[in-house]
Amino acid sequence: MPVPSTAYCYDFKILENEQVAPQMMRLRLECPELARSIEPGQFMNLRVPGDPSEILRLPFSWSCKDAEAGWVEFAYLVIGKGTERLAGLPVGTTSDLLGPAGHGWQVPAGAKRAMVVGGGSGVVPVVPLVGALREAGVACDFVQGAPTAARVIYEKEICEGGAELFISTDDGTRGTHGFTTAVAEKLLNERDYDVVFTCGPQPMMRGIWKLAEAHGVACQVSMEKLMACGFGVCTTCLCETIMGRKGACMDGPVFDAAEVIW
Amino acid sequence: MAVDFAGIKMKNPINTASGTFGAGYQFQHFMDVTALGAITTKGASAVPWPGNPQPRMAEVCSGMLNSVGLTNPGVRALVEDCGEYLEGLTKAGTAVICQVAGHSVQEYIDALDLYEELAPWASGFELNISCPNVSKGGLAMGATPESAAEVVAACRPHTKRPLIVKLAPARAKEVAPAVEAAGADGLTVINTIPAMSIDVRTRRSRVSRPTAGLSGPAIHAIAVRIAWEVCQAVSIPVCGIGGITSGEDAAEFILAGCRAVSVGTQNMVEPAASVRILGELEQWAESQGISDINELVGGFIC
Repeated sequence: MPVPSTAYCYDFKILENEQVAPQMMRLRLECPELARSIEPGQFMNLRVPGDPSEILRLPFSWSCKDAEAGWVEFAYLVIGKGTERLAGLPVGTTSDLLGPAGHGWQVPAGAKRAMVVGGGSGVVPVVPLVGALREAGVACDFVQGAPTAARVIYEKEICEGGAELFISTDDGTRGTHGFTTAVAEKLLNERDYDVVFTCGPQPMMRGIWKLAEAHGVACQVSMEKLMACGFGVCTTCLCETIMGRKGACMDGPVFDAAEVIW
Repeated sequence: MAVDFAGIKMKNPINTASGTFGAGYQFQHFMDVTALGAITTKGASAVPWPGNPQPRMAEVCSGMLNSVGLTNPGVRALVEDCGEYLEGLTKAGTAVICQVAGHSVQEYIDALDLYEELAPWASGFELNISCPNVSKGGLAMGATPESAAEVVAACRPHTKRPLIVKLAPARAKEVAPAVEAAGADGLTVINTIPAMSIDVRTRRSRVSRPTAGLSGPAIHAIAVRIAWEVCQAVSIPVCGIGGITSGEDAAEFILAGCRAVSVGTQNMVEPAASVRILGELEQWAESQGISDINELVGGFIC
């Protein structure tokens, strides 16, 4: 029998749900089982109550958690009806989620220095790498790309977690004016990396992979796809790879960038 | 709650719609799969099919479109990977109906022959002649009474086990008697409804083909109507499918004349839905003062 998803169905309660940047909210959930079990790069599929005409769950990666206190947190962009509904849910709202789902980041044994590149809401799933890399004794350079200064997120967690933070903004209001690829290229030229981890818009991830490949550095990407179930049943969250079509919910969301057909 | 669906002994009328329940094992973290009367495995063909490109899914009001295109690893790989688990289900009293996919009469026969050879544990087979997402065959094979009957008549001699045919919503009441005459033991009604969703900004389909199959609560009332019409048109048993999210939704199909019901899309959003719905169906039967669910089959008053 193939291995089923690691996801279970757990109840959760909203502890915090507040705006942290234009169009961007931060949600903290009380869910002790998930807080204990979810790994960096894995995701959860939330049932967002309030509109029975929208039947599907919304999948989210996570950014921070406290296993002892029993909470998990992530930031999310308000970009559609589902996330608008989520943004309106008051503290104390209860619902359920499926998680932890998918395969997360793999910190390679023996790595000394890693580059982490997150763009936009793609910063969320790479934030837990800061702690994972520190635990593994791997130096972490964290490149964050945002549209504007106000949209830089998790700065405190990244810096206090021991990572060196490099920022780029599309409008030049903070850090390097331009995209993360320019920052990443400079760093790859100056420092020796053993691995690159990235999540963000597809063209950005492709660009980061191309740079990593040119420098002979391994690269992992988190491919976020539309999905109905999130636990390996609906076969809709396709990712085209050199080994054929893979489901992002089971074989991903984290893939070896060299295996992805871009 | 036990029923006999097309010669398949089910401990209760709850089945799962093919393509929404994988091979069952995916649900083990969420529910006791052996509580169900039956499961229907995802359609498999004689050789692996890659299915359609992405995007394969779009959410619409009270439902979803899928354009998966029967992606599957082939009967042989499915049986190698999941045969032991599925056999275990049958030993625990949950029937396993294996769905058979093809693009042509010969491909259905080839897939069925493989199942016959490799899956002695299978409780029965469901011929999917109504998938809206494959170019040749699928819906085309089941679109007319003549072509549907041709597939069924050709497959019939290849198995002695129960042979069930999954019908498309269009022309179901005409196709149903034709496949009954061709030797089908039971019918599954209905498959997804061909539908369309256009992104008005890009002016393109929201899935990779212009049309796709609609499922979910949006199709429930249509499915009940078609199941009712089909139940009147044939004497073989019918399994009702379409937007079941509660015991009452399931009860509607039973009253319309269905011997069994399949939970579909709801499995994907609420993985333990099928067992919840079973409990609710039992409560409904009790509320009707009935201990044998068979007494409620076709109990619709008109």
